Amino acid sequence: MKKYLTLLFLCIISFAKLEAAEAIIVVANTSDKSIQLSRQQVRNLFMGGVIPYNLDAIALPPENQTRVLFNTKVVGLTEARIQSYWAQMRFTGRKRAPKEVDNESSVLEYLENNIDAIGYLPGDISIPDNLTVVYTIR
Amino acid sequence: MTRRLSFFTSALCLLMFSWATTLNAETEDKLQFSGFARVIMGYLDDENAEYVGYDNSVNLNQQSLLGLQADYRLSNDFSMTGQVVGYTNDQRNSGLQWLYLTYSPNNALQIKLGRQRIPFFTYSDSLDIGFAYPWLTMPQQVYDTAFFPTFDGALASYEFAIDDWVINYEGYWGRFDDKIYLASQDINTKVIGLFGVNTTVGYKNFIVRASYGQGDIDIEQDEVVQFSQLLRQFGFTNNADWLNANGLLQFYQLSANYEDLDYFVRSEFVKVKGEGGLFADVDNFYISAGYNFYPYTVYVSYSKKDLHFDHIASEIPFGFTPDLDVLAATYLGVLAAFPDDKSTGTKLGLRWDWHTNLALKAEMTFVQAKDAISNDYAVKDLGNFDGQAVLYQLGVEWVF
Repeated sequence: MKKYLTLLFLCIISFAKLEAAEAIIVVANTSDKSIQLSRQQVRNLFMGGVIPYNLDAIALPPENQTRVLFNTKVVGLTEARIQSYWAQMRFTGRKRAPKEVDNESSVLEYLENNIDAIGYLPGDISIPDNLTVVYTIR
Repeated sequence: MTRRLSFFTSALCLLMFSWATTLNAETEDKLQFSGFARVIMGYLDDENAEYVGYDNSVNLNQQSLLGLQADYRLSNDFSMTGQVVGYTNDQRNSGLQWLYLTYSPNNALQIKLGRQRIPFFTYSDSLDIGFAYPWLTMPQQVYDTAFFPTFDGALASYEFAIDDWVINYEGYWGRFDDKIYLASQDINTKVIGLFGVNTTVGYKNFIVRASYGQGDIDIEQDEVVQFSQLLRQFGFTNNADWLNANGLLQFYQLSANYEDLDYFVRSEFVKVKGEGGLFADVDNFYISAGYNFYPYTVYVSYSKKDLHFDHIASEIPFGFTPDLDVLAATYLGVLAAFPDDKSTGTKLGLRWDWHTNLALKAEMTFVQAKDAISNDYAVKDLGNFDGQAVLYQLGVEWVF
């Protein structure tokens, strides 16, 4: 019986872990700790649109798994469509794609060093106190 | 030839500009280069017709192009952008397409001054960037209209969000003074008082765009003008009035798009109304739908073009004097030189995003033009065309 319970417990743990790994958090370096964004606002921000707060988005490179999850869960478009959207925006002089940094730890480092910077990260990453989680999607 | 030379001169200037400025290490971050290229191959299955310039042989020279862009950040709020495009097609005006100063004090507001593409329709200012849209060839029934592509003037854009809605207003004002290219001739054209407003509203996965534009057009048609004066001297004022290549041209556009991870639907309706008799009225649309199975996208599309003139019947009596007969015959000849143009296009295509900045496309377009073919636009009857043909195309789209 105890063996089964342990197994069940392990199962729950691994599912929880799996969910944490699939979750995406959006983190900002902002003095206003009360900011909470909606999914649509996060989408707008990372697609060059306007939201009520003055935040500068940074992104991960196209092949990065966190970016793939972010595209799927938040933006709702394939990487190919996002690339073609940015090509249209760039060559018609409308908008610029967010600056890209190499990996998740570079995102954290960039966020800590730049006020009003905002980026997305995997849900299980630990966030320093001076940064604020403004959006979470599981 | 001169057009190609002008492209190479502009490209060289742009490169020289970049080289001179990259000498200074500090400017590296301020100066950015980018570009786009298309290599498009096409073949039409009908020897009696041409479509989008393609005939019954494999051809690479119709839509292939190379574009280079340089952006230079002058300060936090100001930047300068130049873009040159070289077309393999002789009928396109290679050279400087964009050269403007941008003032952007925040994310919401942007003001651009200089030479820019006119954003009449959704893709009017990005037709050259094949990588930006799913089709290989934009639905020609909407996008093949021999308009003036660029203007010199100002464009302002303002964007704001209300809850989940993103609303963008764009307004422009300026002029155009250059040639437009019809298949049969190049026409000197002057447009003053060109202005327009566009609104784009985004809500979740939907985007709707509506626009209005207008311009006071003056098209150089010396022979027609002389003939019109002659008709007026004879008192045939209705016919003389109709032969008018000056006046207001108005553009209306409405597009509705939906897209998510799996599907997209894109549709656009356009209407053009011309004041002068020699300006055609246009009622065109397309509707396209696609399915994504990353990295592939398959799509189908249907588009319809209806370009028509309000031809006014001859008021010149026939059979009275030889002079009048010549006049009447000439008038009918002029009417015949401004024929209607109607067609439909049905597409089936595949886009393969092979790399983040490189896509391959294959497309089949079935074109039908049974009633009216003016030979000035995408469809050309080379003689005995039965009004139906299929265009097969392969393409590479690259941005860098």
